[in-house]
Amino acid sequence: MQTLGYILRRLIYGVILMFFVVVLNFILIRLAPGDPAEVIAGDMGGITKELLAEIRAQYGLDQPMTTQLWIYLHQIATGNLGVSYYFDQPVSKLIGSRVGATILLVLAAQVLSILLGVVMGVFSARKPNGPVSAIVSVISTVGYALPVFWTGIMLIILFASWIPVFPVEGMVSARHAATGWLSYGWDVARHLFLPAFTLAIIFLAQYARLSRASMIDVLGADYVRTARAKGVPEMRVIFKHALRNAILPILTVAGLQFGNLISGALLVETVFNWPGMGTLAFDSILRRDYPTVLGILIIGSAMVVVANIVTDLGYRLADPRIRTTGGRR
Amino acid sequence: MSATQHSTPAPDAPVVEAVSPLSEAFRMFRRNRPAMAGTVVFLILLAIVIYGALYGGDPFEIVWAPQTPPGEDGFVFGTDYLGRNLLTGLLTGGAPTMVVGASAAALSIVIGITIGAFAGYFGGWVDTLLMRVTEFFQVLPALLFAMVLVTLFSPSLLTSSFAIGIVMWPQTARLTRAEFLKIRELEYVTAARAIGARDRRIMWRVILPNALPPLIVSATLTVGVAILFEAGLSFLGLGDPNTMSWGMMIGANREYILDAWWPVTFPGIAIFLTVFSVSLIGDGLNDAFNPKMRER
Amino acid sequence: MAALLEVTDLKVEFSTRYGDVTALDGVSFSLDEGETLGVVGESGCGKSITALAVMGLIPAPPGRISAGSIRFQGEELVGAREGRLRRLRGRDIGMIFQEPMTSLNPVFRVGDQIAEAILLHQDVSRTEAAKRAIELMKTVGIPEPASRARAYPHELSGGMRQRVMIAMAISCRPKVLIADEPTTALDVTVQAQIFDLMRQIQEDYGVAIIMITHDMGAIAEMADRVAVMYAGRMIEEGRADAILDHAGHPYTQGLIACIPALDPEVAAADRPPPLAEIPGIVPPLHLLGKGCAFAARCDRAFAACTDMPALKGGPHAVACHAHEPQQQPTAGGA
Repeated sequence: MQTLGYILRRLIYGVILMFFVVVLNFILIRLAPGDPAEVIAGDMGGITKELLAEIRAQYGLDQPMTTQLWIYLHQIATGNLGVSYYFDQPVSKLIGSRVGATILLVLAAQVLSILLGVVMGVFSARKPNGPVSAIVSVISTVGYALPVFWTGIMLIILFASWIPVFPVEGMVSARHAATGWLSYGWDVARHLFLPAFTLAIIFLAQYARLSRASMIDVLGADYVRTARAKGVPEMRVIFKHALRNAILPILTVAGLQFGNLISGALLVETVFNWPGMGTLAFDSILRRDYPTVLGILIIGSAMVVVANIVTDLGYRLADPRIRTTGGRR
Repeated sequence: MSATQHSTPAPDAPVVEAVSPLSEAFRMFRRNRPAMAGTVVFLILLAIVIYGALYGGDPFEIVWAPQTPPGEDGFVFGTDYLGRNLLTGLLTGGAPTMVVGASAAALSIVIGITIGAFAGYFGGWVDTLLMRVTEFFQVLPALLFAMVLVTLFSPSLLTSSFAIGIVMWPQTARLTRAEFLKIRELEYVTAARAIGARDRRIMWRVILPNALPPLIVSATLTVGVAILFEAGLSFLGLGDPNTMSWGMMIGANREYILDAWWPVTFPGIAIFLTVFSVSLIGDGLNDAFNPKMRER
Repeated sequence: MAALLEVTDLKVEFSTRYGDVTALDGVSFSLDEGETLGVVGESGCGKSITALAVMGLIPAPPGRISAGSIRFQGEELVGAREGRLRRLRGRDIGMIFQEPMTSLNPVFRVGDQIAEAILLHQDVSRTEAAKRAIELMKTVGIPEPASRARAYPHELSGGMRQRVMIAMAISCRPKVLIADEPTTALDVTVQAQIFDLMRQIQEDYGVAIIMITHDMGAIAEMADRVAVMYAGRMIEEGRADAILDHAGHPYTQGLIACIPALDPEVAAADRPPPLAEIPGIVPPLHLLGKGCAFAARCDRAFAACTDMPALKGGPHAVACHAHEPQQQPTAGGA
């Protein structure tokens, strides 16, 4: 019951956040230099008078600001993200065909970076001054400083010419197209590996540092000593008693990382030609196709909002102290 | 937090109080080898960038055959897909990266500290409101938002700095708020309040100097992230089109990576070294300010 | 009769940034079945290290047992394999810690935490272990044990948590129970209840208890015999009543003077200040010299105190140059 009410409150708050994202979009279009109708039509050369008139009518651009805002909000709320005049398609349809690929990439990178990061962190926490720890901290600092798009390109050079194990471009190979679910899935997974790994590198570094610190903290906790005192084997002390607690701060950070993951995915998708929202954003920004760009901003923000809610729920499941005492904030 | 900071300073001289732990931290920093290496590398890069900005030449000028490999025909780093000298690009391409990185970081730090300080110091509805705003900005995917801002207002060094600064401040705000929440309860703040110091004075002259150590560390890391952001925007072709930058070099040459690796590799190394040296400095500062954490 | 637990000349060293530091030096004591040994001293004098050494839980590195022996039922534990020690821990030697607030794992239900100890050492099913956990919780006086077993630690009071810790420690009927400051973090009324519970368990289970405390009052309450520690060494040992009545070492006398008296009139008559304190602090271990570590704080220190005094003098042993074994302590002086 408590959790249900909590979810409800979080959802309402998420909707409010999204409301402001939409308002921000509205403001951005009006702030941009030039006629809003032309901004919406984009840089496509030879904009006809008819098209501009159509846009003005649709967005109510000859009406007062508040009415315009109301029209815009109404549009978005009914799932109408506008029309991309460059692609000549509804934005919602454009994004809909791309959003799955981005979610797949982002989740794969998130899982990969958390898994690898936690393993690295746990091993270096066991001997904080040992060689493993030193290597992990070098990897973290390097990983943090690598420009993600450049890492991607370097991996492409590496895997395209020297070790052709993984495909370096796209999401499916043309020749394997649809020869059954299993081979399709395998093909996608192979294509997914390099982009997901590239994206994971940045976050891997942060998770490794965080889980190392958190694990060192927890391994010194009284309840870990208690576990040892009752004869729990060391591996079980680490992976059951300690890790369950050390994972909590990692969950919090994982939730906050989703925005950054989407940002990173933007660059990685462009490098690997991954057919997600990032390549779409890139294409439409080059074409000044603002309805699409702003639609992506809305959907990207919505993804972050949803991810935050999911993480908070996960946190509540993982930490019984929060379940009974109410919210975390 | 060093224990010496808990002594009660005269409200007139809080800056003096903050200097002694800072100079102690400086001493520890100098003994930290990776941090000193980072400092040296960064200073060398900075010198190269300044030299390049002054005497580097025109990076857009086509000087030789396209894709000349490094070392051939007197081109140390070779030429790019149009036959432009990569050495010139590398020398001049650092300036926009560093300028935008530094000014964007400065902007985000100023916004972040201001918002965080007000939220943490006043608490109550001010805190709630400001933190909601912060959360709102954290919901927007930062790079995407920066891309939108830059395109809407046409790319230039100024818009890049502005856009990156606008999207990066929430973390600084959260950190500042946490520090202010912690410090405002300490005795010397109560003491300052007791002798009738005004809010403004307590915030900026009493609390802020004592909150500086973690903020300096975070500011350093912010510079690193801002540089990566600039590089990302330029890579996507959203930097100032009239200024050559490392990110732009990578973006321009990326279609041809399988023919020529060097036009992409060298600028990437330059970006990496810059960010890497900055984060070594940040780590060193962190260790210097939190001696207890060093054992970890 | 061989003692249940026999510790001889135990030496524990830690490597620190100040070099190797001796945390325990020449600690010897024995524990018979069913008796209670009190180990007393201020914080930092090596009581908890002694307990951890017996459990085989000295964090290594940086710590190590560099000399001496720990024999449990005749079996040498120093240098024993970790697997062997692990099977002893929790089954034959149980331990209760000082902080019930932090000693239980916050993310697991308390019943499961007790059951885990049972499952580790006994060949029983999960349901059986859970059932026994509830019985144990009942034994240690937790009301409504069946529903409390499903609670998380933060949902219980400090006293209840300490009872859970005790239930966990006795879940496999250990022969030795080490209690490291079991009541320090608790309210006075709860302290008394926990002491009662421990006495009850000792009677029912016949377990020997090593009771570590800084509080002479707790010693008076619980202990048969007492070992007083200072700066990693034992400085006085003997029967509890003998030591409480005729403490030989100036430090022990100081500790006794620190017991708050309940009756102010008695306090006024017996002791000069109602709540005395020993001036100074326990010296940091890396600064210890060759002489008696207490000399700097001792009002009876004299020239001989620059040499380390040996623990000597029969059943009631004292390590103090100023102490004459046959005399009353009041006669001792420089």
